[in-house]
Amino acid sequence: MISCVALERPGKWRAIGVTMLFLGVALPVAPLLWCTVVSINSATISVGHAFSGALYNSAVVALFVTMVSLVVGLPTGVLAALYEFPGRTVLLASATLPLLVPSFLWATGWASLAAHLGPPAADLISGFTGCILVLSAGAIPLVLLISDAATIALSGSQVDAARLAGGEKTVFIHVSRHVATPALLAAGLGGVVTLSDPGPGQILGLQTAASEILTSFSALYDFPLAGRQCVVLAVLVLAIAAPLAYFTASRLASQVMARQSRSARCIRHRKMVGVTAATLAVLVLGGTVAPLLGLTLPLADDEAFLRAWGELSRTVANTLLYAAGAGVIAAALGLLLAFCAGRNDRLRTVCVGMSLALFSLPPALTALGLVQLATTAPVWADPLLRSRLTVCAGLGLRFFPIAAVLSVRAWGSTSPSWTLAAAVHGVPLWMYLWRVTFPVLLPAGAVAVLLVALLATADISTVLLLHPPGAQSLPLAIFTVMANAPESLVATLCLAYIAAAAGLLVSLWTVAGMSKP
Amino acid sequence: MKRNLVGCLFILLAVGGCHRRAAQEVVVYTSVDDVFARPIAERFEKETRTTVRLVPDTEETKSTGLLNRLIAEKARPQADVFWSGDPVRAAILKAKGVSTPYRSPLAAGLPQQFSDPQGYWTGFSARARVLLYNRNLVPEGQEPKSVMDLLDPRFQSKACIANPLFGTTSMHAAALFAVLGEEKAKAFFEGFATNGGKILSSNGEVRRRVAAGEFAVGITDTDDANVARFEGKPVGVVYPDADGMGTLIIPNCAVLIASGPNVDAGRRFIDYLLRPEIEQALAESEAAQMPLRPGVAVPKGMTSIEHLKPMTVNYTTLASQLETLSKGYLKEWGDRHS
Repeated sequence: MISCVALERPGKWRAIGVTMLFLGVALPVAPLLWCTVVSINSATISVGHAFSGALYNSAVVALFVTMVSLVVGLPTGVLAALYEFPGRTVLLASATLPLLVPSFLWATGWASLAAHLGPPAADLISGFTGCILVLSAGAIPLVLLISDAATIALSGSQVDAARLAGGEKTVFIHVSRHVATPALLAAGLGGVVTLSDPGPGQILGLQTAASEILTSFSALYDFPLAGRQCVVLAVLVLAIAAPLAYFTASRLASQVMARQSRSARCIRHRKMVGVTAATLAVLVLGGTVAPLLGLTLPLADDEAFLRAWGELSRTVANTLLYAAGAGVIAAALGLLLAFCAGRNDRLRTVCVGMSLALFSLPPALTALGLVQLATTAPVWADPLLRSRLTVCAGLGLRFFPIAAVLSVRAWGSTSPSWTLAAAVHGVPLWMYLWRVTFPVLLPAGAVAVLLVALLATADISTVLLLHPPGAQSLPLAIFTVMANAPESLVATLCLAYIAAAAGLLVSLWTVAGMSKP
Repeated sequence: MKRNLVGCLFILLAVGGCHRRAAQEVVVYTSVDDVFARPIAERFEKETRTTVRLVPDTEETKSTGLLNRLIAEKARPQADVFWSGDPVRAAILKAKGVSTPYRSPLAAGLPQQFSDPQGYWTGFSARARVLLYNRNLVPEGQEPKSVMDLLDPRFQSKACIANPLFGTTSMHAAALFAVLGEEKAKAFFEGFATNGGKILSSNGEVRRRVAAGEFAVGITDTDDANVARFEGKPVGVVYPDADGMGTLIIPNCAVLIASGPNVDAGRRFIDYLLRPEIEQALAESEAAQMPLRPGVAVPKGMTSIEHLKPMTVNYTTLASQLETLSKGYLKEWGDRHS
């Protein structure tokens, strides 16, 4: 019988486990990268003349998005978790809505609104400023959610102690310091994901690395060139992410010697409630309502509504299935990674760094790799490699880094004293994992499933390349009709999608709120 | 524990098993817009009781598109037919060995210059590259007549085109190089940029922004232009260069995928697409595509191909020219001016 102590002991199996997991996750990328490697010779070593400039633009945008999302998302998330007020759930759901919407739609909404507002607005919402605005709107909710979750994980006595010591200001400062590390990582992930998002750059007129890679794929059909560009991007991200990973990994979650049974609760503090509500309202107005206005300006008519309803009913089941499947797969892999890394700082650094680097790769790389894998596999493998399950797997692998970071953090926050106590009493390892560790990690796992599901809903590239014929998702359906469908139909579809997403978010926040002690 | 494992296995099988296919089906990948392709697919389903699994594409500028999927699936394709919105994609599939020749008996009567001589793709219903202008910004009588008018000072900073690396704009660029010659074509692109012309993300964007009055004129496709007209936007359409090099015609292309899973159904679908009534249906749809087959009735007010001066290009060689241009001048020009 394996003792529970094994969970707290170092061992070669940890490094092997982490390596195997990352190799497994990166496996679909291998065919295209191999194609890149074998194609390299002195004549083709180049990554394109404009790529370095585009890479610089991408890096600047990513840096600003990281900073903006941290500065806005962290305090908002902390405030939202600490204070209760009427309408909080709706405001939170609206503020996190940009997570569910492909950035292309948001960029189109902003561009459309700018066109209505005139040249000064159009100048502002273009190029660098436009891209930073649109992409920050997508990254802020990620930081907000992580900050909110990290705040909720605090014990009631810690918050009460801070409140007694210095009032609400002290609570805010101490909690912010506590959640700064996961929030910084979330902001980093938000910044990194912009590197693989060609949408806003294409629409708002900024040459980015992602749009260069898209051009290599979709205009030049030059897979090796796209592969080389992806490698350069990943290496750059790895170089930038290494210090961030080194800094954050050891602070990602301190181990606790005992666990408080009472969690922190939201309170109704008049002044702070006002600040929280105002902050969230500004975020909702700027990040959600404004681009939504631009998207829905063309009025919908009855016919458009009927056609939109047809699209919605045809695709909604697939959309939910893909999102849920991706969430479960990513969370399961994330927990497995956390299990292997344990409390080993070096391995946690590797996990964070590799997660950031993986997240920077364009989704097409994994998706095309899976397509090639399925093509070379025997027919009997089709239920695994050419089905809805493949889409779930593709999306799960794409967003695995988020689940990995959350899980590594959650594992770090478990108490080693429990493990030792269980070992002393001779509790079998599997029973300890099933009865103690799993329930403790369940909330973090649920957050990971939810976050990945939300992000996966908005993914277009992976679903387009992997979905079985006839099994589209709703965002993909919107993108396939938006080129030439009447604007009223596109607006109605967008509205239907956003309304459904908002409904889902409100119900999730409500459930999350009800489950709080 | 065991129950949970059985549950997981059941879900896995249920999800995975969803890939099971109907006995009579055809898988059609298409770069034609979903709103135009789906009604035709549904008509085919009703008539033949064969399920059509349609996989429409997004705009190329918005995601890594279907052509990449087709190329990646080459060894064991899922698609039977690729219904292409232009001959360039069809030619790329031919060059990559993804498609196989098929000479449909229904192709008789279609003009041969719009199809591949070796039968790798058959052209039918076509779009044209047109000048779309905003009637509020361009006074009557001063409408542009040629693509060269975009270099006119009166359209300074008021003209737009889609990114010439993508879609039909790339094909138009290659056609200009073929017809005008390298020097004049380059002069056109440089002149366009010098005149403050703007590169937008797609033809749909050109339509939207000309219709909104942000730009006075732009080059787009007839289906985009028609959507703007159907929506009652203040726009006018000009088939350019009627007195000069002519208007570029972009036929749809039916492509049979090599070693597709339902070859016979694929052939039947291509036969169906090439019928005169489908050309007529596409002409009557919002796409307002021009029938290539002489004698097919077109809706009132629609310009038929007999009344146009088509640009004389070899569609087969255009694809290879485009490959060179995309990796060379067009990419470099786009990098300088985007």
